[in-house]
Amino acid sequence: MITSIGEIVRGDADVFPPYLYEAYRATIRRAPRMPLVEVPLELAELKGPLPNAILVSPGDADLTRNAGTGGEAIGQRLVVTGRVLDSRSAAMPDVLIEVWQANAAGRYIHKNDQWPGPLDPNFLGIGRCRTNGAGAYRFLTVRPGAYPWRNHPNAWRPAHIHFSVLGPSWSNRLVTQMYFADDPLLAQDPIFTSVPEAARPRLIAAYAHDVTEPEWALGWRWDIVLDGANATVFEEPRPA
Amino acid sequence: MNASLTPAQTVGPFFHDCLLGDRLAANAEEGGERVCLRGFVYDGDGVGVPDAMLECWHGGRFARVGTDAAGVYTLITIRPVRGSSLTRAPHISLAIFARGLLNHLYTRVYFPDEALNLSDKILLRVPADRRATLIATRDSGRPDASEPTYRFDIVLQGTGETVFFDFK
Repeated sequence: MITSIGEIVRGDADVFPPYLYEAYRATIRRAPRMPLVEVPLELAELKGPLPNAILVSPGDADLTRNAGTGGEAIGQRLVVTGRVLDSRSAAMPDVLIEVWQANAAGRYIHKNDQWPGPLDPNFLGIGRCRTNGAGAYRFLTVRPGAYPWRNHPNAWRPAHIHFSVLGPSWSNRLVTQMYFADDPLLAQDPIFTSVPEAARPRLIAAYAHDVTEPEWALGWRWDIVLDGANATVFEEPRPA
Repeated sequence: MNASLTPAQTVGPFFHDCLLGDRLAANAEEGGERVCLRGFVYDGDGVGVPDAMLECWHGGRFARVGTDAAGVYTLITIRPVRGSSLTRAPHISLAIFARGLLNHLYTRVYFPDEALNLSDKILLRVPADRRATLIATRDSGRPDASEPTYRFDIVLQGTGETVFFDFK
C-alpha cells in the first residue's frame, strides 16, 4: 500500500502510527499539522486515573452473556486472555481493560452502523475487567466478524477487538485494536498498516491451545506492553 | 527505544456504548467549586467532530465525555486550585480520541485571569503565539447555569490549531 505518511507522531515513531496516514481517509482532516510540544512528565501525569473511577462487575468480562437477556450470543466462543506488562516485562496489576467489538456477523449495535449484517439480540459487544495481581486479563466472547466500511472501494475491516487500557499512568493511556493471526484482510486495512511494519505483529493475537477449553471455547493470547514508570519525572517541590 | 511497546489504534466510530456508558463512578460532585467546560472539537475544515471523546484528569478526578452531533462537548468538573508551586498554574489535562485519530492527543486547559499562567513552566515551553489555544475563555452563554462556564474549543488541524503535547 502506497500512501502519504505524516511526520507528526506521539511517542516512539518506530512503534506508534503517525497522525496523518492518507490511506485512512479520516486522518486527512483530523491529523494535527503543527509539531507536538515536548513537555516533561509531571508527577500528576505519572499517576494514573484511579482504578476505581469505573465500576466493574465480575460478569462484565463475559460478552457471551452480559447482555442480560438470559440468552447466549451466537458465534464461535473465544477466550481472549493475556497480560499487561511494562517495557521491562513487569506485570501491571489493577489496570482497567474495556473492550468493544462487532458481533459474529460483523455488526455493531450502534446507530451509525447500518450495513445489512444481522444483529444478535444476545450480544452487546462490550466488556470490561481489571488485570489481576499477575497483570492478567481474561474475556469470554465470540469471534467478531469482518465488516465493510467506505474508506476505499470494497473496503473491509479485518476482525478485531477494540481495547482501552487505563490505569497505571495518564501518560501511557492506550487505546488500540487486537487482530487475529492469518486474517487475509490485514494487508488491505489502512488502520492496521498505519503502524510501522516492524511493530504490526504486536497487534496480532496468537492462537493458544493451552488456553482453549475442551468442548467449550477456543483460546487466543495477546499481551499488551505499556511504557513503564521508568521515565525521569519532574518532581514538584513538596509543600512546606 | 522501547522495542516491545504495543502500538495505538484509533478509537473508531463505535466506542460510545463501551466507553461512554453509565459506569463512570461519580467523582465530579465531591468538594470544590464546580465548573463547566464546553466547546467544539473542530476538524481541519472547521467542521465540528461529532464522534470525538475527551478524557479529563486532574486532581485525582477522572471523567469522560463525548461530543454531540454538532461536535460540542460539555464537561462539568471541579475547578482546579493553585498548589504550592509558582511554576505550575491550575489546569485540566485532556486526552482527545476520535475516529481518524490514530493515536490520542494530549492537551491542557488553563483558565483566564490566572497570574500563574505567566510563570507556568509548561505554558512557557509553548511558542508564545500559540499559548492562547490552551487558555479557556469565560462563556456567558449559560446564564441560568449554577456553575461558571468556560469555553475551550479544540482545533485538531489548521488555523488556530490547538497545541498538543508529547511527553519526553
